[in-house]
Amino acid sequence: MINKGQINAEELKIQGLLDRFLKFRNANNNLRENESHLDDDSLTAFIEGKTNERELTNIIKHLVDCSFCLHVTGELTKLSDAFAEDEVIITQTRKEPTKISEVLSGLLSRIFGTNDGAVFAHQQDEEKEAEIKEDEDKTS
Amino acid sequence: MSPEIIQHDHLLDECDDVIGEIFARRYENAPNFGIRLECFKESLQRTVRKYLFANNPNPVTVNEVKTFLGELQANDLFMALACSNGSERAWWEFDQQHRAYLERVARHLASSEMNAQDVVDTVYVELYGTRVIDGARVSKFSTYSGRGSLRGWLRTVVWHSLVDLHRMSHEEVSLDEMTENVGESHAQASFAEPSLGGEEQMIDHLARERYRKTTLGAIEKVFSDLGNHEKLLLLYYHVENLKLREIARLVEAPSSPLRDWFQRKSAQRENNPDMRIHESTVMRWLEKTYGKILKSFRSELLSGKGLKEEELNICLEIATQDLASPNLYRNLRPTQASSNNV
Repeated sequence: MINKGQINAEELKIQGLLDRFLKFRNANNNLRENESHLDDDSLTAFIEGKTNERELTNIIKHLVDCSFCLHVTGELTKLSDAFAEDEVIITQTRKEPTKISEVLSGLLSRIFGTNDGAVFAHQQDEEKEAEIKEDEDKTS
Repeated sequence: MSPEIIQHDHLLDECDDVIGEIFARRYENAPNFGIRLECFKESLQRTVRKYLFANNPNPVTVNEVKTFLGELQANDLFMALACSNGSERAWWEFDQQHRAYLERVARHLASSEMNAQDVVDTVYVELYGTRVIDGARVSKFSTYSGRGSLRGWLRTVVWHSLVDLHRMSHEEVSLDEMTENVGESHAQASFAEPSLGGEEQMIDHLARERYRKTTLGAIEKVFSDLGNHEKLLLLYYHVENLKLREIARLVEAPSSPLRDWFQRKSAQRENNPDMRIHESTVMRWLEKTYGKILKSFRSELLSGKGLKEEELNICLEIATQDLASPNLYRNLRPTQASSNNV
């Protein structure tokens, strides 16, 4: 019969063996060619425990085989834990709505060093059309 | 459409009333978002097809679809749809409610304030959408389905954005190194092969090599025989270095089926499904799995390979001695040969 002390020593050894085995295994664990990585939506649902059992079976199987998605879910879990207390804080600062185009034009000019008019061209066109329509309505 | 979707699609017609009710409540809260019922319905139907119907050969009932719809984060989805459609009011509310949060997440992840700001800017541009397909702007918001919370989804988007940004400036850095995780770099550390002396040492070396291979084969077999949920638990703990608390968070949702896999059905849990999963519970799951592995490992070596008890001890000793060396694993074959990783 094996005594408890021996089991503990063996368990420690098996844990160490397993640790090295898993790290090495995962470094060589790539995805099958016809499989794709989990998208942002599925990743979020998994992290928040919103997947049903059938989906979860497939996701877990994928995570065991795909070191990339395993790593992403690991990092997102850490992030979710770090912001667990932050979920309810919703700040209200400005009183008046700002235009999306203003916000994004500012961002684009900072990123690309220019006002990217092309991006908002369609929106400006729509606004212009609306203005013309409004003028026409007034005159008629 | 896949055969499964076609098979189940008629169920959506029977859910019009539920979709109508969900829409009415959201519309009452935010009539100025400019979302129409048809647009909302289309989005919900897309989500149901993707998550409930696709690749599901099992029969699905109308009630299942209705429950599924009821569990979606409808308020978040309503705002995301409105932002995707370019509603000024929705963008303003999104900016008010989530910009500060996005900035905190980006600051938490980025190495500098400048990088954090770059990430937030990039995410905003991505959310608005700069790609135009068939004359329509494609907003990142259109990929949000309402399965998880909008903030959870935003965290994922920020994380990916930061990785992309980092990749652009450090192309040679791996994902593991980038996110400061332990991976291949540790396992690949090189150690000098022990020099082989006389005949006795050679025989000893060959015997040890045989035990090494047997040990490796056994641990490989034992791991492959585990359930996928047990494998995942071990991978998170040993490879991704998740803390027990973080693993507990992953199974925190009372509805999480992952939790059911590990939990024994106790009367206490059945009466109180919202009971928190503590770190000690996760530790117990791990200990249980280690116990199972040790038992299978012993059985594999003793019964499977016909080793004696003292030989099993030699295997474990060699494994312990080799813990500081990758020698044991040099013959380990990759589980998948392809290189489709991002």
